[in-house]
Amino acid sequence: MKSSISQIKDSLRDKKISVEELYDEFLIKAKSSKTNSFNLLLDKENNILSIKESQKRYENGNPLPLDGIPLGIKDLFCTKGIRTTASSKILSNFTPNYESFVTQKLLDDGSIFIGKNNCDEFAMGSSNETSFFGPVKNPWKNKNVPTDDLVPGGSSGGSAAAVAEGTCVASMGTDTGGSIRQPASLCGIVGLKPTFGSCSRWGIVAFASSLDQAGPLTNSVEDAALILNSINKHDFNDTTSSNHVREDYSIGINDKLDQKIKIGIPSDYLKDVSGDILSQIENTKKALIKHNVEFVDVEFKTTEYALSTYYILAPAEASSNLARYDGIRYGVREEGKSLDDIYLNSRTKGFGDEVTRRILIGAYVLSAGYYDAYYRQAQKVRRLIKDDFQRIFNDVDFILTPTTPNEAFKIGDKLDPISMYKNDIYTVPTSLAGLPGISIPSGLSTNGLPLGIQFIGNYFEEKKLLQIAALAEKELNFNEQ
Amino acid sequence: MSDIDIKRISYLAKLKLPHEKEEFYANSLKDIIKWVDNLKMIDTSETEPLHNVTEKTVSIRKDEINKSNSVDDVLSNAPERAQNFFKVPKVVE
Repeated sequence: MKSSISQIKDSLRDKKISVEELYDEFLIKAKSSKTNSFNLLLDKENNILSIKESQKRYENGNPLPLDGIPLGIKDLFCTKGIRTTASSKILSNFTPNYESFVTQKLLDDGSIFIGKNNCDEFAMGSSNETSFFGPVKNPWKNKNVPTDDLVPGGSSGGSAAAVAEGTCVASMGTDTGGSIRQPASLCGIVGLKPTFGSCSRWGIVAFASSLDQAGPLTNSVEDAALILNSINKHDFNDTTSSNHVREDYSIGINDKLDQKIKIGIPSDYLKDVSGDILSQIENTKKALIKHNVEFVDVEFKTTEYALSTYYILAPAEASSNLARYDGIRYGVREEGKSLDDIYLNSRTKGFGDEVTRRILIGAYVLSAGYYDAYYRQAQKVRRLIKDDFQRIFNDVDFILTPTTPNEAFKIGDKLDPISMYKNDIYTVPTSLAGLPGISIPSGLSTNGLPLGIQFIGNYFEEKKLLQIAALAEKELNFNEQ
Repeated sequence: MSDIDIKRISYLAKLKLPHEKEEFYANSLKDIIKWVDNLKMIDTSETEPLHNVTEKTVSIRKDEINKSNSVDDVLSNAPERAQNFFKVPKVVE
């Protein structure tokens, strides 16, 4: 079993290992890994100052909350002086001169970045197959077909694979429609998407600004809470950053639930799911019922519209956000005789197929004659989806769902975009409503592959959400299976 | 749903699709637009569009000057620069 952040900090404090030895250990493992989960690894020389300062703080007895912890960072976060590509050809030569808000907070708390994790190009994908740097392989294998290479999920697929294989202690990901929770589920780890507006988007390469949210991929719920403590802060540089009062998310995480908890299970989510998926929900029910938890059936009225709404709004926002890549100010420029030729050539050659497809969808639904029918209608339906969640939260504390409709599939198996988009059926509604969701590993499929469950909480109730997830984690005991 | 004019859409998106890929993208777009067409069945005449899920007001900061993004920083990633400018082909005759 892998060590938690607290356990690693104890070992550093007790001098069982030094910060430098810890970094070496992870770097050597990451360098020899065959999963392609990193676009870039940072040699020790790049981090030697931080390593030494961290070691000094341990020796002085005042380590910071994440001191010396080697983290992976999804290659969507701008990192000062470290190449940041969004796994796209068009940004393959881009080195930011500033640090994203979230990664700066992680550095301020003493963590050390081991490298940049591979992801789907501009975070658009559910299998990490759209990356310019090639697909990431899931460290897990189907026990009945062990020769197959499986996807890790996406878009934070490199982050999930790296945490699962133990090449970083935790990784920062981003989630627009499920990009943290879905790969966490397919790789057997924990993934938390906080409430929209919790963690600043400043310095994250934008995909869909009304949906994008940063969050951790970790080995345990407690690790997710520790990282959330660092990154969940108000930021004036993000106009959607919320200025509510933040709590300490790790203190009391394992406390006994002192009041009766009511959890809703959406019956419409469980229609037509496989026995493997259904048993994850059943096992969770059995495990929690003895802890003063009541389960009730709930039914959404809007589930069938969620993916359509998402696949109008997200590409529309992407099409607008990605207009900035024109080969003029940064990124890869393709030559052309005129300014217009440079724009056209740089964009056409710089974006891969899935990104091109989404830019085209976005341009279509925003174009004259279609704006009201598609974009505006989707924004209205988004309100109905949000209202639908609020109606259910009037009666329950949490909602429990499977994280994904299936286990990890073979690389190259899903070629049709719509069947790929359906992977996010259980995560997209939460994203549209802006609610927090956490995926924890719950069990293995008949093929021996990890499956996950998702708890959804009400706005800014991450503290309660982490508590229930920690209880379920303890009871389901996935890491001992 | 009317037919998708892929040339017009790619023009709007500043993309020059290779001729042999136009049909691929047109068909793909057609499938996706057909798939999302179910939203048209919902009555939203009484519903306001939702732009920001938390619907919180923007917080106001003090208008203080701070140093960030020097000219050299901004130009350091430029594919081509000339002195303190981004360099592009001539746009005025």
